[in-house]
Amino acid sequence: MKRTTFIALVLSISLLSCGKKSDGIVLHDWNFGGRPKLIEFLRQRVYSFEKTHPGIKVEQSDKSWNMIREILYADFSAGAGPDVMNTHSNFAAEFGEAGFYYPVNKFPDFEQVKQWYVPHLLESTRYKDNYYGLPSSAIAFVLCCNKELFDKEGIAPPKTWSQFREAAKRLTKDTDGDGVIDQFGLVLMGGDKGGFAYRMIPFFFKAGVNVMSEDLKKIEFNSPMGVAALKLIADMYQVDHSITPGFLAYTHSEVNDLFSGNKAAMSIEGPWFRGMVGDKNPGKDMYVVPVPVPDDMIAQYDTAPTLQDMVMYSINARSKHLNEAWELLKHLRNEEADMFWITQDLGATATTKSALNSREAKSIKDIPLYINELNHARPWPPHPQMIAIASNIYTPYCQKAIVGELSPKAALDQAAREAQDLVDGKK
Amino acid sequence: MKKATPYLLLVPALLFTVFVLVYPLVQNLINSFSDVSMITGRSGWTGFSNYKHVFHDTLFWRSFGNTSVYAVVGTVVALILGLGFALLLNLKLGKITTVMGCLYTVPWIISPVVAGFAWKWLLNDHFGVVNYWLASAGIVKAGTTWLGNPGTALICVMLARIWQFYPFAMVMFLAGLQSIPQEQYEAAAVDGATMVRRFFHITLPNLKTVTSVMLVLGVIWSFNDFNMVFVMTRGGPMNSSMVLPVLVREFSFVQFDLGKGSALSVVIFALLTTLSYLYLKVLARGEST
Repeated sequence: MKRTTFIALVLSISLLSCGKKSDGIVLHDWNFGGRPKLIEFLRQRVYSFEKTHPGIKVEQSDKSWNMIREILYADFSAGAGPDVMNTHSNFAAEFGEAGFYYPVNKFPDFEQVKQWYVPHLLESTRYKDNYYGLPSSAIAFVLCCNKELFDKEGIAPPKTWSQFREAAKRLTKDTDGDGVIDQFGLVLMGGDKGGFAYRMIPFFFKAGVNVMSEDLKKIEFNSPMGVAALKLIADMYQVDHSITPGFLAYTHSEVNDLFSGNKAAMSIEGPWFRGMVGDKNPGKDMYVVPVPVPDDMIAQYDTAPTLQDMVMYSINARSKHLNEAWELLKHLRNEEADMFWITQDLGATATTKSALNSREAKSIKDIPLYINELNHARPWPPHPQMIAIASNIYTPYCQKAIVGELSPKAALDQAAREAQDLVDGKK
Repeated sequence: MKKATPYLLLVPALLFTVFVLVYPLVQNLINSFSDVSMITGRSGWTGFSNYKHVFHDTLFWRSFGNTSVYAVVGTVVALILGLGFALLLNLKLGKITTVMGCLYTVPWIISPVVAGFAWKWLLNDHFGVVNYWLASAGIVKAGTTWLGNPGTALICVMLARIWQFYPFAMVMFLAGLQSIPQEQYEAAAVDGATMVRRFFHITLPNLKTVTSVMLVLGVIWSFNDFNMVFVMTRGGPMNSSMVLPVLVREFSFVQFDLGKGSALSVVIFALLTTLSYLYLKVLARGEST
């Protein structure tokens, strides 16, 4: 009797503790990365969405940007994952092909929503015939120059490869007279494979090099100009010693510390960098200019393409609330929300026509430059294997060439062979 | 009912073991013989091809070499350090011994991830304290890079691992030292043996079993160590500090080739099972003597 009572008690407590089922709809929204200001903005945006959509609750989770691909793959493969998330737009090919993202062009009002955005920015979310998200924020990779160090040296930010190399050499020095170089011309982010690729490829693009052919069948980054771009960086490291020696271990935090602490004069970065440096060293100023071009391409300095990257908001194809997720997506990404990317320093550029053409956009520092760069920028080729090629093949071989383990030509040729095998499905 | 009760009480633990241990092991073994990609999903039995890919991958052999050095050299140095501190603590100098004993065990109780991040910043080339001290003493140039240098990255990760493991060795050796009969030392002193001779002829032989057990355990644990290496270097720069557990992650969650990752983890499992068998043999021999 005593045993039966005990078992009945345990079972009752278990049933009662299951909790009351929610009456409304719950959407799960994952925010990857972002500075505190951006996260706060997103919280406000979700709050306003819930007020205008009673019956829908949004549960937000903040996750690491560095682990975004692993986290999403692990969850999507298991049939789980959020309803809505922000991701790289270059995931459209890989995740769209795998059936993880829902094609937003299937929603009836997509054609109207489409009109909000700058057309070529929206195209970054497209793979084959479908659009797999709404643009959130656009990034053009530029050259950030430490204003204090440049002004002290009396040099202007470089426009050509020769000027770039010369500036880096002049800005590499022993500042405290102890016989040890403690200030370097350029800092590279070698400790993050994807981050390194993003900072190398703008040199290739500016030199007119393609990563792949237009039909996405042939690897082309090992062209003579590609080799020349890599040789520039390799010579700066091996001959001039104007690149930070420990770059292979650097991630965002080390690059920020070196730049903020006047140990590095230049870095290839995006719109987030001014804010990041400002958080660490308030008042620290920088020149933000296009990535340099080869000497004989100076006439195209303002129009040669840089790398464009973009964050987009996407919907999980297995979401049980597709329509509600679409409503949340539109609220997070409409023209009103997009203005915040102009008026607040959220770390990237807006993507809607109204925001980019606004009076405010013309008057805020760096925005006109980023808009111009974005008008000519190119994204990574929309191939499902592109991320794997950039991180696992392109980056390691470029690094080997920079430190002198391989010549730039040998490195890029070997990388191209391995990448071609991946594209051809041999690997 | 009375006879069945003990078995019924075992059921939750058995279920837990099956779901948390047996099922993942079996699934992993099946995956190692299949073409499993997170991108495409399983596409059938492939036999031993995943194992062939692993053994033909130069990165596997490089990682195996790195892991062996990391495990064996790291463990041996940690044991020597642990023994040194244990001998110090065994001098029994009063309350100070207790305080020092607590302080010496601090590295062991810090989470490996936290320790990894701390060491990463200690070894930072421009802002790290290690470079500051070494440069001030004139031993190295200011700005020397440790984790960004393929020649020193593995050594640095090993140092961090030694720092974390030596307290455990110290505690085990201290227990061993305190179980050595004092009469042996007294007899040796009467016979005129010096301190050094007593150490080599009494202390070390009596610690043989403890040392063997610690060596095998230390190597097994180091072989399995993912946290320290991943946090400090992620196996870089340029795979110079890549170890087998981090390589499993590389295959499974970066290249998304679960079949290859599973095959590698089965290889590691086989290696560690062999080492565990050795450990049990050593333990059994120690108990019989």
